[in-house]
Amino acid sequence: MTETNAIDAQHVELTYADGTEAVTDLVLEIPEGEFFGFLGANGAGKTTTIKVLTTLLVPTGGTVTVNGYDVETESRSVRESIGYMAQETSIDPELTARENIRFACEAYGVSGADRDERIDDLLDLVDLADVADKQAKGFSGGMKKRLDAATALVHEPPIVFLDEPTTGLDPKARNRLWDYFERINDRGTTIFLTTQYLEEADQLCDRIGVIRDGEIVASGSPAELKDRVGGAVLEVELGDSDDETRERAREVALEADVFDGTAIEVTGEGLSVRSTAARQRGPELLVALKEADVPVTGFNVRDPTLDDVFLAITGEGLDDEVAASEPTGEGETDDASTTAEVGR
Amino acid sequence: MSAETEPEPGAGTGTGTAGGRKTSGNGFARDTWIVLKRWLIKTVRNPFVMTSSLLNPIVFLVLFTEVFGGITEGTVSQSLGTEASYVTYLVPAIAIQTALIAATTSGIGQVDDIENGMFEKMLVSPMHRGAVFLGKSLSEIIRIVAQVSIILALGYVLLYLDTGTSPGEYVQTGFLGAVGIVLVAILFSIWFTAISNVVALITRDQESTIIAVNVLQFPLLFLSSAFVPIEALPEWVQTIAALNPITYGVDAARALMFGQDVMTVLDVSAFGGMWNTLVPALAVLGALDLVLGAVAVHFLNSASSSDVQ
Repeated sequence: MTETNAIDAQHVELTYADGTEAVTDLVLEIPEGEFFGFLGANGAGKTTTIKVLTTLLVPTGGTVTVNGYDVETESRSVRESIGYMAQETSIDPELTARENIRFACEAYGVSGADRDERIDDLLDLVDLADVADKQAKGFSGGMKKRLDAATALVHEPPIVFLDEPTTGLDPKARNRLWDYFERINDRGTTIFLTTQYLEEADQLCDRIGVIRDGEIVASGSPAELKDRVGGAVLEVELGDSDDETRERAREVALEADVFDGTAIEVTGEGLSVRSTAARQRGPELLVALKEADVPVTGFNVRDPTLDDVFLAITGEGLDDEVAASEPTGEGETDDASTTAEVGR
Repeated sequence: MSAETEPEPGAGTGTGTAGGRKTSGNGFARDTWIVLKRWLIKTVRNPFVMTSSLLNPIVFLVLFTEVFGGITEGTVSQSLGTEASYVTYLVPAIAIQTALIAATTSGIGQVDDIENGMFEKMLVSPMHRGAVFLGKSLSEIIRIVAQVSIILALGYVLLYLDTGTSPGEYVQTGFLGAVGIVLVAILFSIWFTAISNVVALITRDQESTIIAVNVLQFPLLFLSSAFVPIEALPEWVQTIAALNPITYGVDAARALMFGQDVMTVLDVSAFGGMWNTLVPALAVLGALDLVLGAVAVHFLNSASSSDVQ
C-alpha cells in the first residue's frame, strides 16, 4: 500500500447476501491527481466497486483506503474527502437549483461568509444561473445532471467519483460536463470515472482499468491499451457483396501475402486487417483486390479505438444495448481515421 | 464560465487531509437542523399534500358528527357516565387518525428520497446518519402539531355551532390538556411511522407503500374505540380493539378531553381519575414505539450500509 495513492484497494471482494460475487480480488492503486477511467460491461462490477470506494457498501474482503482513510473504520473521514455523482441523477426536484446546492454545502459543512458567493459561482459554472431559483423538477435531463455535478463538488473534495456521469446526455451537454471534469482534474483533483462510452474514457482519462467479472483484466493509458491491439485497422468495404464475394476477397488477400493471414478478418462490410503496417502497405492489398476484380467500394484506415481494445481484451463488446442508444454525432471513428471513396 | 468566477476545486490534495479547505464536519444538532429544514421547505412548497392529508380526517369529523351524532350521543353519554356531545367524543379519535395519516406519509417521503437519490446522497456525505432520520421525523412531528391543532379548533367550531358552549366545556383539562392531546398524537405516530418506513424500505415503491399503509389504516380505525364506545361493539371487535394500538391512542387523547378515566380495555385504578387511562395507554404506546422504532432503525441501517441499489 503506497502512501501517495488517493485510492488504494487491495484484494477487495464483495459478495452480496444472496451469494452473488460482484467483485473478486480487485486491486486498484490510483495516485493523487489522476483521472482514472473504469470500464466494464453492464454487470461487470463497476457500480459495486464505486459503492465500496464511497463507503456505501462494506467490502466482504480486502482493504480499501481513500485519501488515506480506511473505508470501514474511518468512513466519516472518507465521506468528507470525496464527492460522488451517482449513476442516477440525485437531486431534490422540489427544491430550486440554488437550494439543492445550498443543501449540499450545508451537508458538507461548507460555511463562511463566501458561501453564497460560492453557490453563485457554481451556478455559473454549470450554466444554471438563470434558473437558479426555479424548482429542479422542471429541468431537462442535462440540467439536472449539471446541477447534480455542482452539488457533488461543493466542498472541493480531493477525490471525486463519477458513476457514468454523462449517460443519456446529448453531445453538447456531455461536452460541457467533460470540460468541467477536466478543469477540476487540472486543479489536482483525483477523478474516478466509470463509463460505458469508450470515447469518453479515451478523451478524459490518464489511465484506464478494465473490469470483467469483478476483476481488473487490463490497465494502462488509452494509448498503451490501443498499442496492445496491434497498430491500425484497414477496413475494406465491399458494397452490397454477398458472403461468397467476401470469402473470395479474403482468399485474394491471403494470396497477395501483404499481411499476415491471422490479421485478416471477414466482417459484415467486407474485410478488416489489423496491422502496424496497415497504413503503409494497405494500398498494395487494394491493388491486389482490384486486379482480381473484387468490387471494392471504399476503404478506411483508422487507429484502433478503445472499442477494439475492449473487444480484444474481453472478447465482447461493452454492451450492445448501450451502443445502440449512444448519442450520434460523436464521430469516434471519423476523428482518428482517413476515409476515402474509390469507384462507385 | 470565466476563469475569475471559477471556484477552486481540488483544494485538498494532501493525503490524509479530510476534504477541501472549507469542509468541517457538522455537529449532530446542526445536521438534524439541515435535514429538518429541507423537509420543511418541501412541506411548505407542497401545501396541497398538507391540506389533502387533512381532508380525510375533516370529512370524517364533519360527516360522522352530522350523521351519527344524534344516534350515538346516548350511548356515548352512558359510556362516559356524563352528558357529552358526539363531537367532543370524536375529536380525540380524529386527532389520532390525523397522526396516523401523517405517519403514513413518512414512508412515502422516504421512498421519494430513495427514488430521487437524495437518500444515497445524504448517506455518502459526512452527515450523521441518525440526524438524517431525526431531522425528517421532526418535520413530521411539526406537521402533526399543526394538523392536530387544526382538528381541535375545527371540533370546537362544530360544537359551538351546535350548542354555543365555551372552550372550557370542550377540553375539560383546559389548554394544557389540549397540548397533551397533541403530545399523545405525536407519541402515537411513532410506531406507525416506523411501520410505514419499513414498508417503504422493503417495497421501495411509492404506490405499494401507499396501498399497504392505507389497507391497514381503515380496519385499524374501525376496530378500535375510535368511533363508538367499545362496549357497544360485538365481542370479537372488542377483542381486536383491546389489541389495537389505536384504542390506546384514542383513549389517552379522550381521557384528556373529558378529564376522566375512559379506558375500558384495561382495568387500571391505581393512579386515580384520567391517569388510570393515561398511564397504561402511554406505557403501551411507548413500548410499541420502542419496539417498532428499533425494527425501523435496523432496516434503515441495513439499507444504508449494504443493499443500496
